[in-house]
Amino acid sequence: MTDPLPSVPQRGPQVIYRAPREWTRMHPVSPLLGGWAVMGVVLSIAAYNVAPSWTGVDPDVQELTHLATRSILLFVIGILVILGLVLGFGYLSWRFAEFRLGDDAIQQRKGVLVKQQKQARLDRLQAVDVVQPLLARIFGFAALKIEVAGGEGSGITLEYLRLGDAEAVRNELLVLAAGVKRAKEAGADASVDAVLERLADAPVGTGAPVASGDDAAGRAAGAGEGAQTEQAGAAAYAAEGSLRDVVGMAPGAAETPAAAEREIYRVPTARLLMSIVLSWPFLWLLSLPVLVGVGILVFSSDIERIIAAVLSGGIAAILPAAFAMVGYFWSRLAGGYGFVAGISEDGIRLRHGLTETRRQTVPPGRVQAVRFEQSLLWRRKDWWRVTINVAGYQDDQAAVSTLLPVGTRQEALTALWMVLPDLGDPDPAGTVSLALSGQGAEGGFTPTPRRARLFDPLQWRHRGVRATDRALLIRRGRLVRHLFVVPHERTQSLGLEQGPLQRMRALATFTVHSTNCPVKPVAQHLDVSDALALLDEQAERAAQGRRRQTPDEWMSAMGLREQERP
Amino acid sequence: MAWFEPDDADWQYVSRSLIPARLITLWLWIALPLAGLVVLGVLASPWVFLGAGGVALLGLWSTWVVVRQVTAHAWCEREEDLVVKKGRLWRTVTVVPYGRMQYVEVEAGPLARAFGIARVQLHTASPGTDASISGVPAAEAARLRDRLTSRGEAQLAGL
Repeated sequence: MTDPLPSVPQRGPQVIYRAPREWTRMHPVSPLLGGWAVMGVVLSIAAYNVAPSWTGVDPDVQELTHLATRSILLFVIGILVILGLVLGFGYLSWRFAEFRLGDDAIQQRKGVLVKQQKQARLDRLQAVDVVQPLLARIFGFAALKIEVAGGEGSGITLEYLRLGDAEAVRNELLVLAAGVKRAKEAGADASVDAVLERLADAPVGTGAPVASGDDAAGRAAGAGEGAQTEQAGAAAYAAEGSLRDVVGMAPGAAETPAAAEREIYRVPTARLLMSIVLSWPFLWLLSLPVLVGVGILVFSSDIERIIAAVLSGGIAAILPAAFAMVGYFWSRLAGGYGFVAGISEDGIRLRHGLTETRRQTVPPGRVQAVRFEQSLLWRRKDWWRVTINVAGYQDDQAAVSTLLPVGTRQEALTALWMVLPDLGDPDPAGTVSLALSGQGAEGGFTPTPRRARLFDPLQWRHRGVRATDRALLIRRGRLVRHLFVVPHERTQSLGLEQGPLQRMRALATFTVHSTNCPVKPVAQHLDVSDALALLDEQAERAAQGRRRQTPDEWMSAMGLREQERP
Repeated sequence: MAWFEPDDADWQYVSRSLIPARLITLWLWIALPLAGLVVLGVLASPWVFLGAGGVALLGLWSTWVVVRQVTAHAWCEREEDLVVKKGRLWRTVTVVPYGRMQYVEVEAGPLARAFGIARVQLHTASPGTDASISGVPAAEAARLRDRLTSRGEAQLAGL
């Protein structure tokens, strides 16, 4: 990775932006970084085919593979051909993949035979992630994932850029997107050129019209370690020649530094490991020796026979389970490792990852819904896991949708505050605390009536709904506790359902439809009159919320910006 | 039991032409096994007629359900949102704010066209939004789409 420079260079009066306005290719090493997945697949297929017979490969296939791999020479040639094909295809796809910053969108075109052109409109930008898979991380490269609101596959992935370039493009996109949004609200010209011009006149680094001196000082003082290294990383780029020289971008351009970041919380590795130990798959794993011991005692057979039985018959059944379990542990560990959350003017920043690191930036007000979760095993420690919905995050959801992998109640409340600074309640901490662990009508919740116990013998006491001025809280769960928080202005649509049995008991299920992500808020078995009233009120509150929402509100609530702006 | 019935609701019920359109599809599915069972009954054993009777009963019951469903299917355009209600046994109400609509889709298959009806589907950013209105008269469907689109543009809120 790049060496941090001692100081961030001063920006000249003219801010020249880094995201190329002309069609530009990715970094030329991209095919080498990206081709490994294909190589991995090829190699694992080869390994599978030459594996010993107990793994149960079709003998015919094996025969064929042996024929093919009998000669070392043939084998080497085969590998070379595959390598050549992979690299050749990688080169071609690199050659035809280009991106640029268009007039109101970032555009990408790619495809060797089938051409594909995509664009991500800045005013619909939902999140920008800098992702570094292991290999790219070793060599200081990163992929940039730009998520926009829209159907599946509407996001743009730029793989790979130098880390500094990726961060610079990210910073610039975030600033531009905020500028475009502001221009639209003000009814001004919202094209990239116009916004750039306005930003060039603006006084301070981020280009955003930052208001007073105190504010800037506050930001500087509050800037965490992470921000400084990130800025240094971006700055280091300016000192080196890199992408621009290779692909012929305009020389001498300045870059947009990341907005200063204030760290809010981080997850210690010890706690993360403990949280994995306190999970059902792990307990199950721990109980295995006990189960085997019991088996030996009960059936009084010797251990060798059991092992033999397991090896002969059970391996096909055990292997997938073992893989699933290892996968579970791995995703929990790798996704939550080194988790740091912070805030900046660009929005919420999350950094995490063991082998593949990911730096997410979610601009203000893009979080659609929040879910708190606590399994029975975490209850003694009062640990919570917080998951969010962000439109655009669709694949690898668990990796990107976590706001807090494991944290204390206080941290969970902080996480919610980051997303929703104003809960619209005089005592937000108390309200949410009650919402997390209360039951019945505690904390002003509308409970599920006793009639529902027929359908819901365990949970009915714990179900409840409450609307504050700004958000809807839905509580449920007895063994695994859940709390959903949906800001009114993020409500996509509302639903009410009633089946014949519910009808007999005068109950109904109320749903808030959120974007396509892991959090699916639903309040089951409400009293039908409560549910009807809620539907009406929520429709009204959502309409009010939509009229009110602005990103500046978030910033002033977070103390990032003065309330009054020109 | 009281169900969703807001004061300002001006329910527009869907066209009754949806009933024959749905029944034709339904009975195509019923007719095949029915015919098969009848033939089998003639050739093999009269006991098979019992099965045929069962299938016919199922068809009749489904017919009744279709009629009930269609007569319960309605939409209502309010100030800020569109409300769609469906079903009798399993009833649902969906409220879609105009400002949240991503796009409106009008589709009409050959059968629907023959009956002069179309299906209007509203899409929001949520895959959970199940707001489709089947059996809107074709001309009304086009008007509804235009009206929804223009209201959506006027009230469009950022995601």
